Amino acid sequence: MNKLYLWGIIITALMLLFTYMSVAGSEGGLNGDIVNMLAVAGAVALVIITVFVVIKYVRQMQTDTADGKLADEQWDGIGEYLNEVPKGWAIMFLLTIVWGMWYFTVGYPVNAYSQIGEYNEDVAAHDEKFEAEYASITGDRLIEMGESVFLAECKVCHGINADGIDGKSANLNQRLEAKVVKYVVENGSNNQLLGTEMPMPDRNGLFNSNTGALITDAEIDAVAAYVANGMSGAGADVFAGTCAACHGADGKGMDFVAPNLVNFTPELVTNVLNHGKKGVMGQMPSFDRLNAKQKEAVGAYIADLSK
Amino acid sequence: MFHWLEKHPFFFAVGVFVVIAFAGLIEILPNFAQASRPVIGTTPYSTLELAGRHVYIKNSCNACHSQLIRPFKSETDRYGHYSLSGEYAYDRPFLWGSKRTGPDLMRVGNYRTTDWHENHMKNPSAVVPGSIMPGYPWLFTNKADVDTAYAEQLTVAQFFSVPYNKPVPMKDGSTKTVKMGNSVAEANALALAEAKVIAADMKDQDVKDAVARGEIPEIVALIAYMNSLK
Repeated sequence: MNKLYLWGIIITALMLLFTYMSVAGSEGGLNGDIVNMLAVAGAVALVIITVFVVIKYVRQMQTDTADGKLADEQWDGIGEYLNEVPKGWAIMFLLTIVWGMWYFTVGYPVNAYSQIGEYNEDVAAHDEKFEAEYASITGDRLIEMGESVFLAECKVCHGINADGIDGKSANLNQRLEAKVVKYVVENGSNNQLLGTEMPMPDRNGLFNSNTGALITDAEIDAVAAYVANGMSGAGADVFAGTCAACHGADGKGMDFVAPNLVNFTPELVTNVLNHGKKGVMGQMPSFDRLNAKQKEAVGAYIADLSK
Repeated sequence: MFHWLEKHPFFFAVGVFVVIAFAGLIEILPNFAQASRPVIGTTPYSTLELAGRHVYIKNSCNACHSQLIRPFKSETDRYGHYSLSGEYAYDRPFLWGSKRTGPDLMRVGNYRTTDWHENHMKNPSAVVPGSIMPGYPWLFTNKADVDTAYAEQLTVAQFFSVPYNKPVPMKDGSTKTVKMGNSVAEANALALAEAKVIAADMKDQDVKDAVARGEIPEIVALIAYMNSLK
């Protein structure tokens, strides 16, 4: 028997022995689950194939002789045969070229990964889900949604309880504070609160029809307290004489003319979210990036807060 | 030809280099040239904004705050449109940051305003309960360095052709011109005019007084910079 085969058998036996020992020594051993048996089968197959292949090529090296015509030039004494390319290799080479052309013209351009593409798909899927689940919610669920949007976007300025954090922004638990009313009466307002461009004049354009004169400081204080107090107390006559013409006798506003001064309305909140606001408290940026339903929900939540 | 190349390794190497370089050029350069242009609507920083940017860097804001919005739904919901490379055209250096201890500030100008920044910089936890950001009270007394900002403007205008005093196209089709002074005095006057607009929206009387005296506290410059991040 050839020495080579002998070595092959010895090495195979040794490797199989190691395989047996390492599996038998592990948890579960040869009586373990199917994973152990599969591992053994794999190992046995690998060992036999490896030894078989190695023996084949070692024998080939020992017995093969080169033939064919040598190329003219040599590189540092190393020559090259002018043999034909092996057929299998040549076919694979041609197929690779074909595949390369396909990949270059169709494969990559059609299937290429794009981060922005994945983002767009994400957004589209989310919008679809939002549309299906939330587009038609009303009532308590809408208010709930408004609260969650409020806690994500609004609480950094208005506070978790919507109390305006000690006057740093508007307290949304009440419609208007006296200083806000006072500031608006003195300076006018053009916050596009109704989506129209109709501005409210400043104090130089506000007449008290009871006295027939421009509104005075005392009257401003009175009407500010009256409005902030939920339309009660002193100052009712000033309101009736000056403000009621646009804001209505009950202060509930008029469509396309003036906003509601008694309650928050969803339209009012949506308008503030769209345009932002600037007044005595400071400036509020617009929150245009919320979608229509989210704005409606915030409106419902805030209207509910001050109910 | 291949036979010839095999016999001349130097020219073989040159050929390999040319082929690979060509592939690189046609793949990388066109996209790079396009993406590195300023996005329409991106404007150079004004003198005061640039001074504020220096304050931002000096106080190492970028150690905790990134300026890079990734294209994920969760990020764009919170911070706005994902960042485009052309939006950083006038950032030298860019302040992408690598860790968000605080939120991203790439578009903070869209959803925070002057008075909020004022409250927040004095005492962050007063407006954001549980915030671990420290207060920055010294910004209200330190003076912003307008001269250095102006020096940077001059440099980038000269060496990188940053379009100061030239109309820059905006998204709505109009143009906007960011002014740069012709002298240090003029630059200071421009910065002060800008500072007055910011200070008018602030509540701190010391800051208002300082601006009225012609001084620019760092907080004013920083807020100008914050408001410019859109």
